[in-house]
Amino acid sequence: MSANPFHLAWFGAGGFGVKSWNKTWSGRGGRDWASPQLWVDIAQALERARFDYIIIEDSSYVPDAYGSNSKAYLSSATATPKMDPTVLAPIMSHLTSRIGIVPTLSVTEYHPYMLARKINTLDHMSNGRTGWNIVTSSSHRAAQNYGKDLLEEHDLRYDIADEFFDVSCRLWESWDADAVTLDADHGVWADYEKVHTIDFEGKFFKVRGPLNAPQSPQGRPVFTQAGGSARGKQFAARTANSVISGVEGGPAAMKRFRDDIRAQATGYGRDPDDVKVLFMASPVVGETDEEAQAKRARQVAFAEAHPELGLLHLSRHSGIDFAQFPLDEPIPDTAKTNGHQQMLAQAIGKTPREFLRKSLSTMEFVGSPDTVAAKMEEVMAEVGGDGFLIANFDLNRRYVSEIADGLVPALQRRGLTRTEYTHSRFRDNLLEF
Amino acid sequence: MSTPPFHLAWFTSFTAPAWRSTFGGDTGTEWMTGEYYVSMARQLERAGFDFMMFEDSTMVSEALGGTMEQDLKHSLHSPKLDPFPLLPILARATKHMGFIATGSTSFYSPYILARVMATMDHLTGGRVGWNIVTSSEDIAAQNYGMDALPPHDERYDIAEEFVQVVKALWDSWEPGAIVMNRETGHYADHTKVHRIDYRGKYHASRGPLNMPAGPQGHPVLCQAGGSPKGRDFAAKHANAIVATNPNVEKMAAYRADIRERAARHGRNPDDVKVLFHAAPIIAETTEEAHAAYQRVFGMDDPLQIEQTLAMTAAVTEIDFFQYDLDAPMPQDLKTNGHQSVLDDFMKRNEGKTLRESLGERLRLGPLLVGTVSEVADQMEDIVTRVGGDGFLIRAETGLSHTRRYIDEICSGLAPELRRRGLIRSDYPNDLFKQNLLQF
Repeated sequence: MSANPFHLAWFGAGGFGVKSWNKTWSGRGGRDWASPQLWVDIAQALERARFDYIIIEDSSYVPDAYGSNSKAYLSSATATPKMDPTVLAPIMSHLTSRIGIVPTLSVTEYHPYMLARKINTLDHMSNGRTGWNIVTSSSHRAAQNYGKDLLEEHDLRYDIADEFFDVSCRLWESWDADAVTLDADHGVWADYEKVHTIDFEGKFFKVRGPLNAPQSPQGRPVFTQAGGSARGKQFAARTANSVISGVEGGPAAMKRFRDDIRAQATGYGRDPDDVKVLFMASPVVGETDEEAQAKRARQVAFAEAHPELGLLHLSRHSGIDFAQFPLDEPIPDTAKTNGHQQMLAQAIGKTPREFLRKSLSTMEFVGSPDTVAAKMEEVMAEVGGDGFLIANFDLNRRYVSEIADGLVPALQRRGLTRTEYTHSRFRDNLLEF
Repeated sequence: MSTPPFHLAWFTSFTAPAWRSTFGGDTGTEWMTGEYYVSMARQLERAGFDFMMFEDSTMVSEALGGTMEQDLKHSLHSPKLDPFPLLPILARATKHMGFIATGSTSFYSPYILARVMATMDHLTGGRVGWNIVTSSEDIAAQNYGMDALPPHDERYDIAEEFVQVVKALWDSWEPGAIVMNRETGHYADHTKVHRIDYRGKYHASRGPLNMPAGPQGHPVLCQAGGSPKGRDFAAKHANAIVATNPNVEKMAAYRADIRERAARHGRNPDDVKVLFHAAPIIAETTEEAHAAYQRVFGMDDPLQIEQTLAMTAAVTEIDFFQYDLDAPMPQDLKTNGHQSVLDDFMKRNEGKTLRESLGERLRLGPLLVGTVSEVADQMEDIVTRVGGDGFLIRAETGLSHTRRYIDEICSGLAPELRRRGLIRSDYPNDLFKQNLLQF
């Protein structure tokens, strides 16, 4: 069964932090993480491989969910340190020419005017290659850094996100596309009749406008979103140009997820082809199938030997201290969270160890480049589209090269992924097929 | 006795340069990619500037005539892109010079500001600074959900808390918190990373920052307070102070006042550099320079008059179009905007007409006009009489913000100053703050 061409993107898991520091191929990753060079190299490699975009994940707190202090996170450099993606994004776009650059910014941490302005500036500077990965945040610890006592409740955060999105779009369009006249004879730089206040007064935000800069090349940035809960999917279907999915259950579940997003998008009056659903994948690629499988076996053995490293993530995302549950007893259904609902739902009833093992086995793509390319084609043929979002927590240049210079050429030979960027703007490329 | 060296910096914003000037090139829209400022940064570093500073505001002003027309026509306060995303690429195009971006304590969250600055400090290898402003326009506040800004003095109380939070966040990781012990697998030592648990009247933050501070620890802090409260705030926190005065005696008095206030706050006054706005007009000959001066500041051109009025109106929030250009300058105006700017503008021009006042208003700084060597003489004389610390070059939007003007300063004036030993000939230190405080 053959698949239609699909999209590739990269999820910069762990954000602008320590990517890899004490492994064989870490290089100087522990020391040099605060330099933008690794991200520049990644962006250039992925552009060479014709990826559509790269997301810089983000969160802005030092976690202390696991074991109720920050020790485990700081000693393993997990989710912290993490620097600001809006500072990294312009360097990446400056040193590339076609790939989309997508920083993550939270609607519960930013004010819409400030966010709209930063994204507008980035879109101008990148000549229309900027995206916004919309997150609502999921930790009280982040909220407490911003002067709140607690983070807003889960569904309310999406109500805030809806309004935030609407205000931002109004600001991005507060200058008509032809407002800049550059009429030297009359000394008129911009025509004020084409610049409008927005006078927005909602439940959460009040913004006068207009934005103090002209419409950027894309007008609105490309929106990416990763909501997996019912409310999150609703928001994504309404707003996103690309939805990130980590859904479990193989191709059948992926197809259901995608069909659901597309149906909901249609319900909002959108063309479902304007919403590209990309599925998280961490292919393990080697010279031969055997070498790749051996590598995968080493990864699994390491994870099995260090269950706490996996549980750190689960604790942080769920807001629950998994250090309190014995490794081999089922997690009780009385566990509750104000954080990632989907992840907790998946964990209840399993033991922590089982849950970790299961999350390790999601979407296995292991083999030589050709083997992995064939498997990806098979999955996409069944799911219907729209592509994959590559992520790897132990991120180093070697892994990037295995994907960009090994896997991608194999996909391209099969006619599955792009070999050229047709357009200069990010959204036009993303929606091309 | 030879004059000790002084500092040169450049004051600008991420905005449209002089797009309708003879030498405006394609800058009317090209500036939005940042390339104009990238080439400018390279020029300034070659010339030995200490830093490039980006002023900022977030409004389309309606102060003049109640509409956005004048502001947009002359590209005054708007358009203005966000300077924070620009700094990293400027730093990447240079090696030594410092970069300062403006962030408002009325609109930012302290946590975001602390994190952005610390991130930039890492990315630039310790070459950034933060220009602290409290903002002064209600129309900007209305973009952030407020009806109006708090009163002037309260804004400084808020700023004081803001700066305390930001400094505490920068200090929340002890030096040496990153241990990178491969044996035990410890990246950072959690006992050296601390919550700040700040709870003030206006701001609260739990902390710690989710990253260590950059090479400078605290980036260079810059401020431009003119009111007594503003001066005190600047003297307490800033390493660089931006000041505007055309009168050399007043420049000297201002600097002495700042240094005295800094000492009162227990600081070494030499850790506070007071830089004055200057807009030198330089040409091949004295005559050409005076002709150029007349074109830039002469107020002969109706478009220029209109632009200068609009600029003044937006800062002071006073609609100057309602006054007769050739009647004496009014002396009793009140504003919730930059009161010190307005007071100064009125007092300085008592007895003059509004039209006469505008040329000097536009120039902002002392009179500097002539050949390269004449202007170098004038600057040397002024610095000697003021006592130090240097100048902040400013090319007014719409008039002389062109690559050609930048080159006149960088390839003409600066080399002459350098030959006289008046500005730096190298950057001996890695960190911006160390270079700034070097002399």
